[in-house]
Amino acid sequence: MRATSYAETLPRAFTILVTATAVLAPLSLIVYQSLLSAPFFDANKEAGLDAYRFIFADSDFWQAFKHSFLIATGMTLIAVPLGGLLAFVMERTDLPGRAWLEPMLLVPSFVSPMVLSFGYVVAAGPVGFYTIWSRDLFGGAPWNIYSVLGMTVIAGLTHVPNVYVYASAALKNLGSDVEEAARTAGASPFRVAATVSLPLIMPSLLFSGVLVFFLGFELFGLPLVLGDPEGILVLSTYLYKLTNKLGTPSYHLMAAVAICIVAVTFPLVLLQRQLLKGTRKYASIKGKAGRMRELPLRNWKWIAFGLIGLWILLSVLVPLSGVALRAFVTNWGEGVRLADALTLEHFKAIWDEPTMMRGIGNTVLVGVIGGFLTVVCYTAIGFATHRRDDGWSRFVDYLVLVPRAVPGLLAGLAFLWVFLFFPPLTPFRSTLFSVWLAYSVVWLAYGMRLISSSLLQVSAELEEAGRSVGASRGRVSRDITLPLIRYGLLGSWLLVFMIFEREYSTAVYLLAPGTEVIGAQLVSLWQGGAIDLVAALSLINVVLVGVGLGIALRFGVKLRD
Amino acid sequence: MAELTVRELHLKYGDNPILKGVSMELNRGEVVSLLGPSGSGKTTLLRAVAGLEVPHQGTIQIAERTVFDSAAGIELPAESRNLGLVFQSYALWPHKTVEANVAYGLKLRKVAAEESRQRVADVLKQLGLGALGERYPHQLSGGQQQRVAIARALVYNPRVILLDEPLSNLDAKLREEARAFLRELIVRLGLSALVVTHDQNEAMAMSDRILLLNNGRIEQQGTPQEMYSGPKTLFTAEFMGSNNRFAGKLAETRNGRARIEGAGWSLWGMLRGEPGAGSDAHGVIRLEQVRVAADPGDNRLKLALSTSMYLGDRWEHLFRMGDLPLRAYGNEELSAGEYWVEFPAERLWVF
Repeated sequence: MRATSYAETLPRAFTILVTATAVLAPLSLIVYQSLLSAPFFDANKEAGLDAYRFIFADSDFWQAFKHSFLIATGMTLIAVPLGGLLAFVMERTDLPGRAWLEPMLLVPSFVSPMVLSFGYVVAAGPVGFYTIWSRDLFGGAPWNIYSVLGMTVIAGLTHVPNVYVYASAALKNLGSDVEEAARTAGASPFRVAATVSLPLIMPSLLFSGVLVFFLGFELFGLPLVLGDPEGILVLSTYLYKLTNKLGTPSYHLMAAVAICIVAVTFPLVLLQRQLLKGTRKYASIKGKAGRMRELPLRNWKWIAFGLIGLWILLSVLVPLSGVALRAFVTNWGEGVRLADALTLEHFKAIWDEPTMMRGIGNTVLVGVIGGFLTVVCYTAIGFATHRRDDGWSRFVDYLVLVPRAVPGLLAGLAFLWVFLFFPPLTPFRSTLFSVWLAYSVVWLAYGMRLISSSLLQVSAELEEAGRSVGASRGRVSRDITLPLIRYGLLGSWLLVFMIFEREYSTAVYLLAPGTEVIGAQLVSLWQGGAIDLVAALSLINVVLVGVGLGIALRFGVKLRD
Repeated sequence: MAELTVRELHLKYGDNPILKGVSMELNRGEVVSLLGPSGSGKTTLLRAVAGLEVPHQGTIQIAERTVFDSAAGIELPAESRNLGLVFQSYALWPHKTVEANVAYGLKLRKVAAEESRQRVADVLKQLGLGALGERYPHQLSGGQQQRVAIARALVYNPRVILLDEPLSNLDAKLREEARAFLRELIVRLGLSALVVTHDQNEAMAMSDRILLLNNGRIEQQGTPQEMYSGPKTLFTAEFMGSNNRFAGKLAETRNGRARIEGAGWSLWGMLRGEPGAGSDAHGVIRLEQVRVAADPGDNRLKLALSTSMYLGDRWEHLFRMGDLPLRAYGNEELSAGEYWVEFPAERLWVF
């Protein structure tokens, strides 16, 4: 008898096989499609590099590439220093009110970028609330968000949480004695941050820098909304516009662009993984977490407070207040008085429109039931690799990273093709299942981090104790590990719910009667210019996420791993 | 009869060999300690026996059953070995009550509920935990947690019980009580136990036999008395007690005795091992064998007292011979000055 019997290996093999199929099938389909000269269902298709030749000859493509690169670089340069500084202030100083500031800092990462972007348009666009008020009060509004610079600044500010999360985790692992040493040597708090704390967490900053950079290449909602008026394209919006560009479905061209995007992001994801190993090494060297003492800020307190307040104002309050206001006014522009324009009409319009109501219902369904099933699947994958250090575990480790490199828009497109390409799946094409599957795969890496951080909190000895009194691996998982991580899993369910409420780009190509979700409807309504409905629906979306956030805070769910 | 037999066990982590051919036996009703410094492979050996580490060579038998044999491709998973394992951290399941923790092994063996309750109650009573069945592990003291861990490992009557550093998580005072309790319990129940420890006093107090591991091999094994009073190697001699150690050259050997000498000193001792004349040698003597004398004599050196330390039940005197510190116990304080210190030849081992 071997240590592993078939009864044990079979479920594991099945889990890994299903995961691999769900991740690799859509991706292979994109690769395959990009090497054809016409859509894969076209009888006249030929294998070749025509699609690549076409897009490389298109000056719009290069323009879009340039914009993507500029925005990604710019937002990294903004988000990394700010996120690092924010983490230092929040983790290491005696700034008052940190407990309630912390969830505020994470808000931008839970609000749909589509909603945020729309919020910026109605708040700070040429006829936005704040633009007009500023003109009335100061005689001018010196900003233009419909520009590459404007988009870069907004993207940079809204991606600060991505850096903050990693930087603060690294700071938690750093003993405070090194900072105290710098203080006794005569350094001011911000000097300490700049010369001691932040350099020591350099690997984490580098890691999050790479993350923000490739997220920059994946931006979709922001350039779609803000780039449109001036015709500024980035790679993802270029791909999106290709749908209409030639009149006929140009799947092969879209696939070729998709491959170009993945060709940028995938190496970055791998690089990030390497860096993560580096941060772990670093953390274990400096791992004397020990006692944490806060750095007294004294007069610097107000500067820190002002800085954080300004950031919250610009990246949370401005866009969200814009959305909230716009949802309740009939129209807005120069010379409109707020009190005269107030209305509830937009919500009534949504109430009267069955597709809208279905979209809201579907969004909740995908978040609650779908989120639950997703956590079940992620947990199964987690158990398939838990405490097993073999080739299969390493394979799954890499496998879950793959979707990270594929922006939601592309993943949605790829799943659309999968559902069209494999006849047995076609009946599910216009069911919520297609959206759920695409969401689950797109957020695989994020979800697996949540699950494995829960699993890692269970000490190996608790499981070994189960084995030694006579429980099989499966029995240990069921009787010991699962009960021990149940709160972690509930928390993951809540986080996945919020992520699924927020998601929009993945559902864009899957939008069909029966699969409406708010995110995709926002994109399509925005394209159709239905600003009133977008505003109301955005607000509903924010409320849904807010409910999740409220529950999470009420029960003390950690909003980050 | 051997309850546990390990033959030529080799195990490595990656390319790093941890066990390099370990063989041992554990007889019925016997307590054997695996003793050694950290990194010597003692815990790994225990875990390999439990089935939690996979050796790449060798065999493990529990009673008549082969649970691991690399050549025959036999590898029984941990859950099929029917051993009791007590973890260093106790590893009590925090979501189960004491009763549920202990009963789990019986549940897995499909023991009827009524009988299971009876057996759990019995074992808890035996361990002095009678009233604590309803509690959760975090509501217990360290000592009580340890007993629950033992109860959990004993309840299904395993042939062999394995204990990984069972005392190291208790504070010093409690440790001595727990040591006595554990020894008494093992003897009373007639258990066959394999205990990992890094503390030689613990090993000597608790076990019938000690296996001293060094760098993945068994350095020496024997009863506590043999190990303490008859070390065969320098490593064993140094590990088992508090010693003075002389480094010098072997000057001559005669009738099983050897003379070791260094700069300005020369001492007779018992020859251990086979160093040739003129080669480097070490003299080792337990602190309690060193005597402070008033006059010159055989195997006495004239040494200056450096300082004395009061230990409560005795004094420890620190002498110096050049750079070499030499220590001795005494019953009274010594005033500063020079003394003749005797290192009795029959108690001094030369390696």
